[in-house]
Amino acid sequence: MSDKLTLGMEAMRAQMDTRVMSYMSSCVHCGICAEACLFYTETGDARYTPIYKVEPLRKLWRQEYTFWGKLAASMGLSKKLTEEDLANWEELVYDGCTMCSRCSMVCPVGIDIAYMIRKVKEGLAAAGFSPEGLVEAGKRAVEIGSPMGVTLKTLDATIRVQEKETGLKIPMDVEGADYLCLFSSGEIAGFPEFIGSLAKIFRATGVSWTISSEYFEATNTGVQLGNSKMAATLVERVVSAAEKLKVKNVISPECGHAYTTIRWDAPNFIGRPLPFRVVHIIELLDELRRDGRLKTEGVNTDRLSYHDPCNAARRGGVIKQPRDLLAMVAPNFTELPETGDMNWCCGGGGGVSSNERADPLRLKVFDAKKRQLDAIRPEGLVTACSNCRHMLEDGLEENEMHDIELLGITELIADHLVEESG
Amino acid sequence: MATQVQTANRHRRIIVWSLMLLIALMLFLPLIPYALAYVSPEAGGVPNPGTELWRAVRSGDKGTSQVQGVDTGVLINEYGEAWRHFRMEQLIPFGAMLMGSVLVLIVLFYLVSGPLRIPGGATGKKIQRFSVFERTTHWFTVSLFWLLALTGLILLYGRFVLIPVLGPEGFGLTASACKEAHNLFGPLFLVAILMMLLTFVKDNIYARGDITWLLKGGGMFGGGHVSAGRFNAGEKIWFWIAVLGGLVLSASGLVLDLAVFGQGREVMAISHVLHGIAALVVITVSFGHIYMGTAGVEGTISSMTNGYVDEAWAKSHHDRWYAEMQAAAGDDEAEQAGGGAAAGVASPVAND
Amino acid sequence: MFAQLVDGIFWDIALWVFGIGVLWGILSIFRVRNKPDYSEPRGSGTAGAVGANLRRFLPRTELVSRTRLHIVAGYLFHLGLFALLFFAAPHVLFFEAQTGLGWTPMPYWAFIITAQLSFLGLMLLWIHRVMHPVTRLLSDLDDHLAAILTFIVMLTGCMALIGEFEGLRVLHRFTVELLMVYFPFSRLMHAFMFIPSRAFTGAWFGRRGVKA
Repeated sequence: MSDKLTLGMEAMRAQMDTRVMSYMSSCVHCGICAEACLFYTETGDARYTPIYKVEPLRKLWRQEYTFWGKLAASMGLSKKLTEEDLANWEELVYDGCTMCSRCSMVCPVGIDIAYMIRKVKEGLAAAGFSPEGLVEAGKRAVEIGSPMGVTLKTLDATIRVQEKETGLKIPMDVEGADYLCLFSSGEIAGFPEFIGSLAKIFRATGVSWTISSEYFEATNTGVQLGNSKMAATLVERVVSAAEKLKVKNVISPECGHAYTTIRWDAPNFIGRPLPFRVVHIIELLDELRRDGRLKTEGVNTDRLSYHDPCNAARRGGVIKQPRDLLAMVAPNFTELPETGDMNWCCGGGGGVSSNERADPLRLKVFDAKKRQLDAIRPEGLVTACSNCRHMLEDGLEENEMHDIELLGITELIADHLVEESG
Repeated sequence: MATQVQTANRHRRIIVWSLMLLIALMLFLPLIPYALAYVSPEAGGVPNPGTELWRAVRSGDKGTSQVQGVDTGVLINEYGEAWRHFRMEQLIPFGAMLMGSVLVLIVLFYLVSGPLRIPGGATGKKIQRFSVFERTTHWFTVSLFWLLALTGLILLYGRFVLIPVLGPEGFGLTASACKEAHNLFGPLFLVAILMMLLTFVKDNIYARGDITWLLKGGGMFGGGHVSAGRFNAGEKIWFWIAVLGGLVLSASGLVLDLAVFGQGREVMAISHVLHGIAALVVITVSFGHIYMGTAGVEGTISSMTNGYVDEAWAKSHHDRWYAEMQAAAGDDEAEQAGGGAAAGVASPVAND
Repeated sequence: MFAQLVDGIFWDIALWVFGIGVLWGILSIFRVRNKPDYSEPRGSGTAGAVGANLRRFLPRTELVSRTRLHIVAGYLFHLGLFALLFFAAPHVLFFEAQTGLGWTPMPYWAFIITAQLSFLGLMLLWIHRVMHPVTRLLSDLDDHLAAILTFIVMLTGCMALIGEFEGLRVLHRFTVELLMVYFPFSRLMHAFMFIPSRAFTGAWFGRRGVKA
């Protein structure tokens, strides 16, 4: 048995739990999950069927955890999991799945397929079958502290520009602040207005907040790669930064997987509850709205719509909040067809956006989003994830849909803020 | 790639063997309990003392009876004898001759002229001929058709073929099982026929060129190329024989199956005559269809298994349909230009 | 001879294999424990587990147009089989003889229609499985065996319907015994396992405030 295979199998064995065992013995191969998957619907290639992407884990389960499987394997009658299988599945799992979980919502026997794909990634990563782009991003995340190589210097420069633009002081390393805000590298590099918008909103609403110079990265490449150890290392950095500044809350920025990771998965990566509460920036804005602290004036009369980031909505439960916020400023808001917990992915989640090899496929499966947008043709599309926003920009560009403007929800709110002395 | 082909082959084997197993089991499962039937054979053959009486009664006059119901006034049905005569002296022997001679002709034709090859050989480029739903409809109809045909033929010919083998008690059991299955699956066949009609009717309407196709015998005489759309005239004729025959079979079958609407013996006898004739005609013509779809014409069977045919096959047998498909594909491609690498990704079955 | 075996020892074996096999199948998923979830829940996991178990009986509207055949044939087959298993008159008599518990069977005409609809569902599902590139790729021997065995059980049951031939009844019971022995080791286990699967997924999403 090859070393790579041994490593992969060991990693997957460590991932085996009651849920996987139950899922594996429930699947009847009905194929309905394929019809929910943008990679299947847009390419027509049966190999992109979600449950098929779990095949390496299923083979392992069959040969080591089932009666007939064990019997057949011991007599050499069945085809065992091979290194070739792992190599063949790399492209399906890393390029052909965004972990959007749409399949998990439609399975008639209730299998959470994305949950198992995450576990397959764990095996592939351990065996060394991960795309180069993602592996490099992981290295940068561990070494530099940002998958895109954004350093504290870059952040400082960005903050200075935003301070000049807004005329507000952006708090850095303030001990005892109520909220510690994290950013995704993509935000700092691509949408720095987000930081300025936060400063404006928090001033108007009187929220005490800070940024940590020690660690400010919200994303977690360990999750996308399928490397729990790396994921735990990165989570510990957040915990340590938050503990040093003695904050009670941590804000996840406009980023989908950052939110699910730090809000839902982080305590499980480090094996203990987090010493602080985690909120998505939309959740916080909605709380401020409900408390009457967040007030807006004027509206955007464009026909706006909302793209649910899969991780925030389907896997995070932040579905109603953005809509309540948009109701304040967007009177002509129109829902996309198939929205909320059944929204179509932008095509770049789950680490696909960091994996350049997957670009042509990603732009091909953007057709699902295009179809959804074509149905109502909004004038503006609001989202709450900087990665989604990058991917949507890319897709709209590719399809020459220049009439749709992309907006971040925080900036949209900040643009309509009632300036009151907090 | 090799593993995909292997998997495809393995699946094909599984499917073929499964179908054969199903048919075999249909026929042979009822044989298992024969051992049981032979253990305690009933004594039979008591001479009937009332023979003379019954002979007199069978004149067929209508009388009155305490029991009120359909045909209760008739002690002996006078049409019964005519029906029995038709079944025993005409339907059974002529049906057997019809089916047998067509089978023999097909075998002879195959031995003499062999399969029709794709001119110039296969190109390896595939185009889709039948969608998943079309194929599902087809095989659903096929399954029911053969379930009904086999059980029906056992009921019709079993007394000659099976009684000598199984003995009267054994055949009684088989016949009872076949009758139950035949009556149960019968109404479903109507569903299948209607599905077939809805799915395929639009391509089976008469079109220009069909007469020419027929006059040239589909290319067998007159020489030269014969032009055809998605279905040629021969296929269209088979479609209408199957659909209309299927409807006659279903209608007459329902009359026989659901004897609760006041239909008397006369109606039942006529229904049975229609049912028998239609069944034997459709079964006989189906031999031709099966031959053309499998051994008779190279490259045809895949259109109903994985849904794809070779381009050369399409060009040679259905040139007008091929042209339409090319035009449609051209539009699609123009639309998808620059659609990225995945645009070329076809389903694995298409590549084998 | 054969009939005595089928009604006697074969039946006992089948019953034991089925009972212990199913129980073992269900219990064995707990061999590897789930890790505890330390995250602060937003909603109730229990409500999510129950909710998902009920909600997943209905298809998501977003997918209806893409999965019509699955939905129609799936319901026909499963509801039909359930009705046949528990409400066919000979079955009710059988359960009564075995357990002393009886209930009202369905009338003969209802049996016929139910049997036809479930055959319709099963045949369409299996043929579709073979024809569709996705299910063709996914399916293995187990999928086909399970479908064919179920078909044969239903077929022999209907062949024995008239009840006049002891041999046909014995044949039906024998095929049922084969199915019962095959059941715990096969994908047929989904008949029980869908409950924990839906519950796990429902609870996981429920904690996050999502209705799965």
